Amino acid sequence: MKKFWALFFFFWPVVAIWSCWVAPARGWWFPTEAMSPLGERIDGLFYLILGIVTVVFIGTQFALGYVLWQSAVKGDDEKAEFSHGSHSLELIWTVVPSFVLVFIALYQMDVWAEFRVQSFYPNQTQEDGPRLELTARQFEWRVRYPEPGTELKNQPQPGDLYAVNEMHVATGRPVKFNLRTDDVQHAFFAPELRVKQDAVAGLIIPVWFEIPKAGDYDVVCAELCGWGHYKMRATIVAEPQRQVDEYLSNLQSEQNFDGVVTVDDEDE
Amino acid sequence: MLVQMNRHIATLIAAALMVFVAGCGESLNSSFVYSEQTESLMLEAQDGFHKGDDDLPGAKDLIDERFGNPQSLKAWSKLPVDFGGVTGRVVETPDSKTLILNFDAELPVQTDVPLNLQFVSGPAATIVVKIDKLSSGAWAASLSGNLETLIRAHNDNNQGEDTKSIPIAGDDVVLNDDVKGRVVATPDMKTLTLNFDEEVQVQSGEPLMLEFVTGPAAEIVVEIDKLSEVPPTASLSGNLETLIKAHNDNNQGEETKSVPVAGDVVVLNGGVVLQHGRGLYMRHCSHCHGTSGDGNGPTAQYLVPRPRDYRQGVFKFTSTNDQAKISRDDLHRVLKNGIPGTYMPSFVPMLNEDDKHAVVEYVRLLAMRGEFEKKIGVELSPDFSKAAVTARIEGGESKPEIVESLREFLAEDMADSLEFVSDDLETAWTTADTDGAVITPDMSRVPDSPESRRLGRELYLSKGINCADCHGIAGKGDGPQTTIFEKNPVTQQLYDTPGLHDVWDNVNQPRNLTRGIYRGGRRPIDLFRRIHAGIKGSRMPSFKIVPHEQIWHIVNYVLSIPFEVEPGHAPVVNASAEATPQASL
Repeated sequence: MKKFWALFFFFWPVVAIWSCWVAPARGWWFPTEAMSPLGERIDGLFYLILGIVTVVFIGTQFALGYVLWQSAVKGDDEKAEFSHGSHSLELIWTVVPSFVLVFIALYQMDVWAEFRVQSFYPNQTQEDGPRLELTARQFEWRVRYPEPGTELKNQPQPGDLYAVNEMHVATGRPVKFNLRTDDVQHAFFAPELRVKQDAVAGLIIPVWFEIPKAGDYDVVCAELCGWGHYKMRATIVAEPQRQVDEYLSNLQSEQNFDGVVTVDDEDE
Repeated sequence: MLVQMNRHIATLIAAALMVFVAGCGESLNSSFVYSEQTESLMLEAQDGFHKGDDDLPGAKDLIDERFGNPQSLKAWSKLPVDFGGVTGRVVETPDSKTLILNFDAELPVQTDVPLNLQFVSGPAATIVVKIDKLSSGAWAASLSGNLETLIRAHNDNNQGEDTKSIPIAGDDVVLNDDVKGRVVATPDMKTLTLNFDEEVQVQSGEPLMLEFVTGPAAEIVVEIDKLSEVPPTASLSGNLETLIKAHNDNNQGEETKSVPVAGDVVVLNGGVVLQHGRGLYMRHCSHCHGTSGDGNGPTAQYLVPRPRDYRQGVFKFTSTNDQAKISRDDLHRVLKNGIPGTYMPSFVPMLNEDDKHAVVEYVRLLAMRGEFEKKIGVELSPDFSKAAVTARIEGGESKPEIVESLREFLAEDMADSLEFVSDDLETAWTTADTDGAVITPDMSRVPDSPESRRLGRELYLSKGINCADCHGIAGKGDGPQTTIFEKNPVTQQLYDTPGLHDVWDNVNQPRNLTRGIYRGGRRPIDLFRRIHAGIKGSRMPSFKIVPHEQIWHIVNYVLSIPFEVEPGHAPVVNASAEATPQASL
């Protein structure tokens, strides 16, 4: 019976390792490949940590399995050995993991800084400034663009353009926007871009990402904000700058629509 | 050891069973509620007379007959609601498992949706049958030659080129160089079954030349002797006779049904749109707007402003004139943009076009149900509400007399009232979707300028228009009207809270124009419409008598209020929209 349990508890870690091994190929981890350069680096960090942890996991599980098996094999007659502990063993298994952890902490610092520390944001985002302001509210995402040709200001301006649940950004270069919330805490989460940032009431938080490939990217809310949290979704439409300008120009016309369609315009 | 294991396993099995017992599927056991007005009618007016020879429906029966309950919605065809489904007629019943039909509209493309056919008229009326396969919209072409012979001849004449062979299903064809289509089948060498992408006009005398564009017979041209349309043929999953006999056995005492005949009206997948809308509504809307659209769902009590109560048939933010109902376009706009400044969010991208259409139809159905109930109530309340009955008894009438007068009313006058009410509903809701109902300014927007805004401010403060009375001198929504005590126009009782009230009896706070939040949309045309038609249901009145040029001045002023340094002073920053507004939709 003991052997059965020893094998039983050894079997599941093997299954765990197998599933971690096949997971990337089967798409069990991430929804897609990272669609932004920073996202790729984040994924790289993830896989690095996964590798380290797997090695440790295999080591410890083998140790556990060995101990279980020995106990099962030895039988009930032998007395246990009393050990006063081993100072050197304790030293080793404290120092080595701490070195590994410090390594991980230092290795990821630059990715963290680029993502979270404003002074490390790509230079282009400092020059361009925020492209739009995204205000999270229960349960939608309100977008405010500055008037084409002007800078975004924190106070709404007469020429600002408004949209909801759909943000148009340019591909191929870092884009920064201001994240706010109208009511409770929300979180801006673009899974395919590996971007996540809490929206905190009272704060205006700059968030940046870069999207090389044009397309539609999901945004979901990642901070429980009420009964509609599950359906609080938006779309990032990434397209060439020219098309973004076209979209904004159309938005401006639409926002200035006065209900009168003249004959000339109908011919267009 | 084993005993311990058994106990654990037993717990596991019990836990698993609970899931099956409690169920993990949808259980929509909900029902529509009746309005306060209906509930305050005398009981006989609510329930009608159903004892003995009487079969006079009361108010509740009338509503249930026409609208049903969420689980069993009724399709009252008089209402301008898209119930979904395609109407058609039976052409022939060649055998018990096949029906040849003619449909009034194009058949939906979805083939994986289960197909239900309901007989609406004729001997099999109300019976629903399942269709296994529906072939539709095909054309049978009898060729003047023989395909094999033609192709062999072509091959012999064109040695050295590709050898052609018989066309197969899926090959593209062109009829008379004009109409594109494709081959569905080649039943024999003299017949082809084809599907065309557009209308085929068959003119007698005109030669019909069919050219194969792709496939084994590409480039070959054949002449068609006769081209006839093959009507949609439905192969049923059961046997008609058996189904009808089973229905008759199960419903003894009701009319016996028999096999349908040519000319019977049928509906394919009737109610699909409403079913879809119901599912979406219950999932996404009912927690605020309530099962019956009464604006009183579980989360409604926490919200200011309250969610819309559809049952008055009144919606605030419309593009239609002050007498008209809301249009479908307006409802779509609300779903797309949400209502900024309220708890109504945008439902795009969550809902696609089909979803939005289904939800809009369901909401319209709920609104019409509420309105129908209200109008029935209006017919019955003056004489037969509980309060009225008490007054009549005090006035000397006896209860049996009143009940008898109610019976007479239901038997004789109710039919006319119903007709009037339903005609009214139909007209109002159909008109709302016409172009004529939409408010279109008779001139383009006056270009935004300090001068226009100054004129707008003057009009804002003028005695005739007097926006400041409610919206306040500085546009903060704190005008003198917000402090009065007014009476409920229906009950003639004073409201508990000071200020203006809307038709839903909620406090109607005039908009604070300094915030730059425009619930019905921030386009100049949206503001124009708010002013022109007022905001239906609220105390914002209609200013349709004001010349459109003046309305534009007011619009320009209102749009500038959030950027004013002081009330009535033009903002320091230059407002934009100097460019001439371009047309768009």
